[in-house]
Amino acid sequence: MIIRKIKILGMLLLPVFLAATAYAVCNQSSASQADRDLWSTHGCWRDFYLWEFRAYDVREGDWRSRGYFDACDVNVEFAKHWNAAYLVTYGLSDNHDLAFHGTVDYRATAEAAGSDFHSSLNHTATDDTSVFGRFIWHPFSSNEVQTSCLLYDPALSGNANPGSRAGDFMHEGWHGWASRRLRNFGGCNGHQNGPQGACSMNPCGCDYFYFHGIGAYEFGAMYQDDGTASRFHSPNQVQVEFLCDVADLSKSWVPDTVRRSARSDANQRAVTRFINGPGFSCGSPRPW
Amino acid sequence: MYSTKKPSRLFSLIAALATVALLAVVAGQYSAQMQQIDQNKSQKNPESKEPAGPQPSQLQEKRVAHQVPPLSGTGEDAKKAVLAFIDWAGLSTPDEREDVRKMISSASDNKEIAGALCEEAFRAQQVDHSRALLVLSILGELRNPSGEECLRRFVNLPFPQDGRKTSEGEIVEQIDLGTLQAKAIDGLAYLRTMSADEEVLRQVQKHPSIIVRAEAISAYLWNHQDSPDKARSVLTKYVRKDEKIYLDRVQRDEGGKAESFNRKLEYYLKSHPEAVAPAPKFEPPKDEKPKKDYPTQTVKPPVF
Repeated sequence: MIIRKIKILGMLLLPVFLAATAYAVCNQSSASQADRDLWSTHGCWRDFYLWEFRAYDVREGDWRSRGYFDACDVNVEFAKHWNAAYLVTYGLSDNHDLAFHGTVDYRATAEAAGSDFHSSLNHTATDDTSVFGRFIWHPFSSNEVQTSCLLYDPALSGNANPGSRAGDFMHEGWHGWASRRLRNFGGCNGHQNGPQGACSMNPCGCDYFYFHGIGAYEFGAMYQDDGTASRFHSPNQVQVEFLCDVADLSKSWVPDTVRRSARSDANQRAVTRFINGPGFSCGSPRPW
Repeated sequence: MYSTKKPSRLFSLIAALATVALLAVVAGQYSAQMQQIDQNKSQKNPESKEPAGPQPSQLQEKRVAHQVPPLSGTGEDAKKAVLAFIDWAGLSTPDEREDVRKMISSASDNKEIAGALCEEAFRAQQVDHSRALLVLSILGELRNPSGEECLRRFVNLPFPQDGRKTSEGEIVEQIDLGTLQAKAIDGLAYLRTMSADEEVLRQVQKHPSIIVRAEAISAYLWNHQDSPDKARSVLTKYVRKDEKIYLDRVQRDEGGKAESFNRKLEYYLKSHPEAVAPAPKFEPPKDEKPKKDYPTQTVKPPVF
């Protein structure tokens, strides 16, 4: 009898719980030093966030509770989202002698517009911290790139910094590339099973690293593949190459904390996520 | 077993209901997404509660470069100096790298500065990974005996066995501590004392995280560039059997050129054919089909 009552009570409370979950938002009381340092280089640039919400298809309905109407508060998700987009848009030096890819590639991967890189997509945030980010295919509208509180709340994860957040735009955007070109990285959340080879992810999240030299891709040609391993990218690889380019080759004004966090994220991914790893190593091991 | 028996009426009824339910779901999703598109057409622009700021280029012109705050003092002064220095160093640029190094070097004998940095590293580890990385880097560059002790303590913090697990299986707390311990390893390797090198080599072999073991190998090699063969030979005794490839890992050198990087990569892939990825698979994802693009605006970003 008691068990039955508990079940009924549980059923009655379930919608309340689900509603609470749906309306929860990430902790909005702090930002990482890397976010604050990058922020101080633009001091909340209105023209940019008015461009960014269109370029990334950030929608009022999805972001209202996440600072859509408080775009200059660096503690809220929308401000952190466009802070990362600012890094992608202006932060790379596009050094042809050393960069893996150029701003044109990374912007096309991250931004909403449909192109050779992916079909059109929109950006949302999620409270589901079982993922850093997620690509969702929608049959009747643009696809969706979700980024989770792990990328916004510094108390939850070290990846709550602009470089790692932008790195996730690349990763999820590259799932969009696969979707558009009908490529398949694997059947385990769009990756290979793990652990496997040098990849320690378990049970999912492993990729191959399709090593290529510098200059192998003209800037703007990252989307190309020729059906062989010599001209192809996996999502984790695109993410590592972007993070390495931020760490080693960003513009002179990009603050140290942003580069340092990008290096740290690139190097941990390079040794944990590739079956044929390790991937490239970025930056110097000298402490400063 | 394969059967060709005529389906029963009950089965037909269930199949019909299932089809209706499926159509209802598809129609629901279609309608919801069309509704979303309509809402988007009428959505408001984002706003802020603060007035608009200047162009970033104007802000950057105002910043005075090479004004390094002093890293000196004792007692409370040392603590204040450390906090101000950390804040400034986080914002510093590559052009100011030598300024930072000089200032840190000038404090290398100051035990209280090392102590204040150590305290801040352990505090920041709990709340802000990016700041903790920064502080551990300064502490490593300091090359101070108390700093060595602190870095050793940090790298030996118990490695978490559980925590926030993602659907791909990684434990966020492990990644966070592993990346910070890798930074502490950089500092230990940079000291080049016998005791610090012993700790680095111990971590090459024993640390539970590949993030730390890989960085320990890389940092040991980098700090012994004056005798690379000897460094490799020493490391070979400690590196795990299945991790020997880390001794040859390709790194992009600052100020290098594409040709030298590409030569290193070619040599690496010849020496390690197991690192060459197999041809990618091309089966289309099961539930996805190419679709037409929905319009998104592609205006140019504002001028910096």
